[in-house]
Amino acid sequence: MKDTTGSEPTHAATKPSGTERAKLGAIAAIIVALCLLPILTSSTYTLHIFILTFIYVITTVSLRTITTSGQFPLAHGAFMGVGAYAAGMASRWLGWSCWLTIPSAALFTAALGILIGYPFSRLRTLYYAMGSLFFGLGIIQIIYALGDWTGGYSGFTGVHPIFIGSKVPYYYFSLGLAVVCAAALYRFEFSRIGTNLKAINQSHEVASSVGINEAWYRVMVLGVGCFFAGLSGAVYAHYNLVISGASFNLGATLGLFMGVLVGGIGSFAGPIIGTFILTLLPEFFRDLKIYSPLVSAAILLIAVYLFPQGLVGLPEVMRSWYAGRKKREKTVAAS
Amino acid sequence: MGQGLKGIRREGEDEGSEMGQAIATTTNVLILSSMYILVALGFAFLFNMLGLVNFAHGAVYTIGGYIGYQFAVRMGLNPWTSLLLATLIVAAFGAFLEKFCFRPFVGDFNRIVMVSVAITTVLQTVVNIWEAGEVLTLPPFVGGVFRLGRFSVSYQRMLTFAIGAGLLGVASWFVSRTKWGQQMQAIAQNMEAAFLQGINVRRISMIAFALGCGLAAIAGCLMGSYLQLSPFMGDTMLTKVLILVILAGVGSIGGIFLTGLLLGALDAVLPLLMRGAFSDAIGVVIVVALLLYKPKGFFGHEA
Repeated sequence: MKDTTGSEPTHAATKPSGTERAKLGAIAAIIVALCLLPILTSSTYTLHIFILTFIYVITTVSLRTITTSGQFPLAHGAFMGVGAYAAGMASRWLGWSCWLTIPSAALFTAALGILIGYPFSRLRTLYYAMGSLFFGLGIIQIIYALGDWTGGYSGFTGVHPIFIGSKVPYYYFSLGLAVVCAAALYRFEFSRIGTNLKAINQSHEVASSVGINEAWYRVMVLGVGCFFAGLSGAVYAHYNLVISGASFNLGATLGLFMGVLVGGIGSFAGPIIGTFILTLLPEFFRDLKIYSPLVSAAILLIAVYLFPQGLVGLPEVMRSWYAGRKKREKTVAAS
Repeated sequence: MGQGLKGIRREGEDEGSEMGQAIATTTNVLILSSMYILVALGFAFLFNMLGLVNFAHGAVYTIGGYIGYQFAVRMGLNPWTSLLLATLIVAAFGAFLEKFCFRPFVGDFNRIVMVSVAITTVLQTVVNIWEAGEVLTLPPFVGGVFRLGRFSVSYQRMLTFAIGAGLLGVASWFVSRTKWGQQMQAIAQNMEAAFLQGINVRRISMIAFALGCGLAAIAGCLMGSYLQLSPFMGDTMLTKVLILVILAGVGSIGGIFLTGLLLGALDAVLPLLMRGAFSDAIGVVIVVALLLYKPKGFFGHEA
């Protein structure tokens, strides 16, 4: 499981100092290790799992970026679906090259996010979550309803692949894209905009009283998150070549959320770790067949009961446990 | 979403005359509405009292139907006995869920969602292990058809509606008239004040959980014999319940009844007017528009 720890140290800073430099070094080492993987293994299935993980990492990291503003969009799977269908339809019906479809699908999704962002910025907390949930349902139903263009319930086929033949180019492409997107979103989060978003999350009243245009920032971050969701969806469509609404429904959205929460929603590395664990760990238990979903349920329950801050809190939990044990030993020795 | 609607449309087309179709539609509206409201009530108890969004409620509804199937078909029990047993088992399971899975995390939206997704996964896996994901039907509770002149309605459907309506009456009586129900309302209004008045919040929330899960199990069994059982019927129901409770607004039990009728009517009438997928899409679009128009729901009184 070297690769899951892979994503941990993302606290890169502009001026690396001491531990920061160690973290940057660890990130570089893990990226190099991931680069070497296709040379070490010849199993296409392993590569397939990793490619999907890289694509989903883009989605979950962008989902967490939206949540830093205090919004819980339960439509992120559907936004990924919008990107996938936009790219797929442009590829099949218009015959566009995939280097054109992927960015335009991402932009299309971002535009949709901004468009619905304005009416939705009236809703708060639970009502925002539920409103976006219904919006996601609506998107999937509209995809089904436009069966003549989207293939309806039976799925959409005929998307052109980016690379023909081997999976190795896909592997490097998705790895590179995931690294670039994560770096971009990291810069975004720790920029002035990201700080404003966190202020809105803490108290939207205080934030607007100091001159932060709350509605504008909330809409903007939704647009940014949707851009990356659409991007990952488009890459997914060009990789998988068959897409169906079932991959982007409420269950898929909740699955993305689980990736964020298992890793830890409070930390940038959280969604990366969570996505790796939730996609790679169940693969080790594939022999369980019908029982295998229980593995992911077990991961969720372990995370929820033992790691209140997600798995990024692991060192902290260990430290407090160790400190507690030392304290107990001391009291035993004193008495 | 498609499954239930296909079943309804088939029954609507069986009736030859326009009047017959009108009767079929009306009964469909009433049955669907009463089932939606039954499941939604249990969800709303917890949502109002503890602000708890239980995404596992759909899976509890499914497992209720499948437990009923185990008793009625695999073990060959009387359908009524199996309905009762399934309800009791699921209600006990609900109490267990409240104590061990939800109580530690009340007020923490993220972890509640995680727990309920985990529970949903476990329950769906159990259903898959039992029946390998096949679509099944529970035996009817009563046979025969009620005839009045040219029109006919099967006793099964009348009974489904009667049980649903009866339970709704009992549930609303329970909430407004009994001590436990009034304590539930008090907690929904202000949990801390209720606690200071000496209301045992833990016990009441456990009762509410058991009651909600029991109602969901009854609805699961009834829908299992009215339409069919499938491992994913809970997903459809969950979306309906979320729509219903959010549209009705936080803290409104009465609102759920009216909104449930509206939702049932949309679901039964729209498929008659247009293709199935279109009707689902338009139904959801209407809901989103309503929510944007009234961000706190129709009858909600707090944010």
